[in-house]
Amino acid sequence: MKALIAVLGAVISLAGTAAPVFAADAGQLALGKEKFDYWCDTCHAPDPREAGRYLPGTASLNAKYNGSRPGALVDRTDLLPPYVELVIRKGMEGMPFFRKTEISDAEMKAIAAYLSRNTRQ
Amino acid sequence: MPIKLPPGISAAAFAEAVKEFQGAVGADWVFTSEDDLDTYRDAYSISWGHDDEYLASAAVAPDTVEQVQAVVRIANKYKIPLYAISTGKNLTYGGSAPTYSGSVVVDLKRMKRVLKVDDKRNFALVEPGCSYYDLYQHIKDRGLKVWIDCPDPGWGSPIGNALDHGVGYTASPFRDHWGSHCGMEVVLPNGEIMRTGMGASPTSDTWQDYKYGVGPHVDGLFAQGNFGIVTKMGFWLFPQPESWMTGTVHVPKYSDYSALVDHCNYLEDAHLATGQTMYGSNLGGPGVIATPEYRALMANGWPTIEQLDAYAAQRKVPAWRAKLQFYGPEKAVRASWAYAQRRISAAIPGATFTDIEFATLPLSPAQEKTHHLVNFGIPNMAIFQIVARPPAGPNNANPYDGHTDFFAVVSRSGSEVFRAMKAVYDVQKELKIDPITATPFSSPVTWHHKVFFMAAGGVGNQRGDAEHNRRMRALYAAYIEKMAAAGFPAYRTNPGAQDLLVKQFSFNNNALLKFQEALKDAVDPNGIMSPGRYGLWPKQLRGKKA
Amino acid sequence: MPIKLPPGTSASTHASAVKEMQRVVGADWVFTSEEDLDTYRDAYSIRWGHDDEYLASAAVAPTSVEEVQAIVRIANKYKIPIYPISTGKNLTYGGSAPTYSGSIVLDLKRMNRVLEVDEKRAFALVEPGCSYFDLYRYVKDKGLKVWIDCPDPGWGSPIGNALDHGVGYTASQFRDHWGAHCGMEVVTPTGEIMRTGMGALPNAKTWQEYKYGVGPHVDGLFAQSNFGIVTKMGFWLMPQPEAWLTGTVNVPKYSDFIPLVEHCNYLEDAMIATGQAIYSSGLGGPQNAAEVQALMANRYPTLPELDAYAEKKGVPAWRVKLQFYGPPEVIQARWEYAQERISKAIPGTTFTNFEALPMPLTEAQEKTHHLVNFGIPNMAIFASMARQPGDADPKDGHTDFFAVCPRTGEAVFKALKLVYDTQTELGVPITASPFRGPVTWHHKVFFMGAPAVDSQRNDPAFNRRMRTLYDAYVKKFSDAGFPPYRTNPGAQDLLAAQFSFNNNVLLKFQEALKDGIDPNGILAPGRYGVWPKRLRTKRA
Repeated sequence: MKALIAVLGAVISLAGTAAPVFAADAGQLALGKEKFDYWCDTCHAPDPREAGRYLPGTASLNAKYNGSRPGALVDRTDLLPPYVELVIRKGMEGMPFFRKTEISDAEMKAIAAYLSRNTRQ
Repeated sequence: MPIKLPPGISAAAFAEAVKEFQGAVGADWVFTSEDDLDTYRDAYSISWGHDDEYLASAAVAPDTVEQVQAVVRIANKYKIPLYAISTGKNLTYGGSAPTYSGSVVVDLKRMKRVLKVDDKRNFALVEPGCSYYDLYQHIKDRGLKVWIDCPDPGWGSPIGNALDHGVGYTASPFRDHWGSHCGMEVVLPNGEIMRTGMGASPTSDTWQDYKYGVGPHVDGLFAQGNFGIVTKMGFWLFPQPESWMTGTVHVPKYSDYSALVDHCNYLEDAHLATGQTMYGSNLGGPGVIATPEYRALMANGWPTIEQLDAYAAQRKVPAWRAKLQFYGPEKAVRASWAYAQRRISAAIPGATFTDIEFATLPLSPAQEKTHHLVNFGIPNMAIFQIVARPPAGPNNANPYDGHTDFFAVVSRSGSEVFRAMKAVYDVQKELKIDPITATPFSSPVTWHHKVFFMAAGGVGNQRGDAEHNRRMRALYAAYIEKMAAAGFPAYRTNPGAQDLLVKQFSFNNNALLKFQEALKDAVDPNGIMSPGRYGLWPKQLRGKKA
Repeated sequence: MPIKLPPGTSASTHASAVKEMQRVVGADWVFTSEEDLDTYRDAYSIRWGHDDEYLASAAVAPTSVEEVQAIVRIANKYKIPIYPISTGKNLTYGGSAPTYSGSIVLDLKRMNRVLEVDEKRAFALVEPGCSYFDLYRYVKDKGLKVWIDCPDPGWGSPIGNALDHGVGYTASQFRDHWGAHCGMEVVTPTGEIMRTGMGALPNAKTWQEYKYGVGPHVDGLFAQSNFGIVTKMGFWLMPQPEAWLTGTVNVPKYSDFIPLVEHCNYLEDAMIATGQAIYSSGLGGPQNAAEVQALMANRYPTLPELDAYAEKKGVPAWRVKLQFYGPPEVIQARWEYAQERISKAIPGTTFTNFEALPMPLTEAQEKTHHLVNFGIPNMAIFASMARQPGDADPKDGHTDFFAVCPRTGEAVFKALKLVYDTQTELGVPITASPFRGPVTWHHKVFFMGAPAVDSQRNDPAFNRRMRTLYDAYVKKFSDAGFPPYRTNPGAQDLLAAQFSFNNNVLLKFQEALKDGIDPNGILAPGRYGVWPKRLRTKRA
């Protein structure tokens, strides 16, 4: 699993800065934001409080990227939907995977679209 | 009265069993004579002298857990029903008589040891025959700095009282006696000794500190139940406070009551008024129902809130009062009382504050003579005044021999209290009770910290008047049914009404009772343990009763 | 990973049961693919990747009590074990995986409604899929003046947490989540809906106020167990306090901890310090790790040695952060009393870190305060295991161990040494320390943590070593009188076996009760060591 995530991570680094890669309609983005705020924001929100003490996801990614990428997922410009979906369903380190009763496939795709909205070619 | 044999047991088999009981506890501690068995009758029974009065076939008084085990094994061998009592003083709720006539009473009074009191971790471990007096004396003799929480009658058993959902008078976490128990030792229906919670760990020292242990908690099954004989039980204790303070809040309008209750709930739940809040109405009290003003008020039936507001205004006395109590360091209790006054003044126009008193604790012997002792964890027998010859009462010349209490569980809200008071009135009216004693000025009791109990007036009994008792039974049964139908069931009742009360808890076709019965059958295959207690009959007897 | 069928159930029987369940909840809400079932594995399992990892054969997600009943009836028809989960976030204690492999997980996450919150009578009624976040948002959106009490992870279920003996961070009477529950609705193992306490009385309004009803209380049977599926449960709530105050008490000597605990017990039990007392030592912490290691180089230090060490360091050996909720003048008076009392009793005591704030916290204050002490759910705890600067390879999970310990200094000292002894005996790196404070989640006992046992999803050999260590903690702490209050399915048989008074009579009694109400043994077999008759020989 880690190997697969590493490969997808490498794909991410290919992303450039032109037009958005992924087309998503406003409704999907709104759903994605709503579900992100509900499920993910509690660990991955920006505004690290006390150096991320309350935001383990953001704190962990800050430590991981050490300034090369933002720690907060909403600020990322390099996320690809398949990667987001993979982390939701397969987990990552201390972040456990999410079941479909928590985040349905449609909601997962919306979250992925939302987090990839600023990813450019 | 002829001795009642356990149903289905021959005199010969019974005699053999009695002999075995004598072998287990010694001949002196098995009682079979009519004289002796008379002392196991329920002195306050409203079934006294009736054919269906609850009577024991014998009584056995073990002194040790091992003897209890032996008694239970003999009962299984002969299939003789047992009925365990602790101090046997559960008067108004059954006394020392069994729920199933012909049972052998297991009288645990001799097992009255205080096994442990810890005043650093604040708990006690006692045996069932130990009374509130015994525990209090033990603590006092050793100068331990903890309080017990006792109900009105001091001769009761902390274990028996807690098992019957008994309640008391000090701080909220301790008034609910079942809620403040921690850890049990039980002799099961098969005679095995079991310890619950951390007691099941042979090495643990937290049996009286932590209730749960691991896995399903079984403690609850032994409350108002018949799943075993509790032979030891722990209780959390209140550390002796530095001081006590009280003040009484008065609110002018009848309808102010709802707001008053809301604020007192807050003070209780936030642990600000750490003692018991006691409600009363200046418009009620003894003799009020005979006054012309009151008669006029009630002439056209139950008054509206508006009429009651007008009545209070016209009488020029505050309609309701609440006596607040605070335990703790002096500065803290004074600050809490000041806060309570500020909060209630701001919310209820016209609120006044009287009867303010502060005392350092413990009370002096002189103070003990003038204070409501149970609020200080001091057991006494003052409550029996009301069945004795009270100076101003209808029966002072010829007091009742006993009474059967009825206290209904009511939400802590003014509107629910109003509804419950009217429900009592409606029952009395329907049964043509004369005079109707239910008034709009009865107040709830606050023994439990999350609900009110509303009394429906004790039902008096007379041992010399079987006919009177029969009328009282009809009234009592009406209270049970009609109050439950209104959503206000009794929290506790005597054996004669247990089937009826349990039947009211009918959600999904009495699913709860059926579940309890399946559990009961699984652990008491011979059905020997207190058959019928709180409506729970073993398979063998199910359907024969009620 | 191939799908594991319940032992003794054929593939076609399983398929028939699944088909019937699909008819009940809709095909979308029955999960059988490997990919979907992977999300029901226990993400933090120390059995991850082992042959005996706990795996579900399917998962089914009802949205109503009636659907739960229907599923239970199907399970009985096919004699297939089912394992209910609430939010499924019971991480470190089993997550969303069943205790008996091959069980069908009954995922209650979709039943996430807040049914009632009463501000004046201070209670809530919720469904099992409702999380602390959900309940908090509901209370906040409606502007109700009550607090919830939540454990560290905010995504957990008030019901699931209480049923597993979970604990929290506000005032004493609310921190014990089981203790603060009031009233339940349960689907029994035979598929009947039952309400407990006052819930059994059709017109009663006191279901969430009075726990007992009449007759034997059955509620306890549903905690850490397998006697029914709880579909609704009530909780008593704390009224929102006017203000909060904190101050820290520092005592100089290591052995001063003994009287310090006694005074804090008093303040807690007398309802003077109404919030959680948080113990720690100024001599512990990562910055002192090397020195603490040296102190324990040859053996665990004696009490006089620890006193001498504290004196040499010139740092107060122990501190306790006291917390008070209430009106400003009341909590000020209570804090002053606490200072007077402890100063008088323990020479050299100092008082620091005083702070008082009106409630609720402002948004800015929320950023700097320990939110759970204010009943605000959050996920901060996960930061402790997430990647830290300087830790490139964080663990995938961990398994907690918290032992039930009497509230005395002596017992705490004994428990601290026990961690050292266990680690020494097993030859694992010594992370024990004489400077670890007891945890005060429960108001009448301490929980003493042994350092968490980590798990790595890609390293079965590592996990195997961790299992050995974890089992050793369970055994040794229980032998010493400090069993854990809660554990994961892999250690539940072992833990239940430690409660061995009179030849494990308690477990036998629980099992007799279980057989009485779950004749087919379909509900959560093996949970906390309680196996139904037909599987009893499976016990570890």
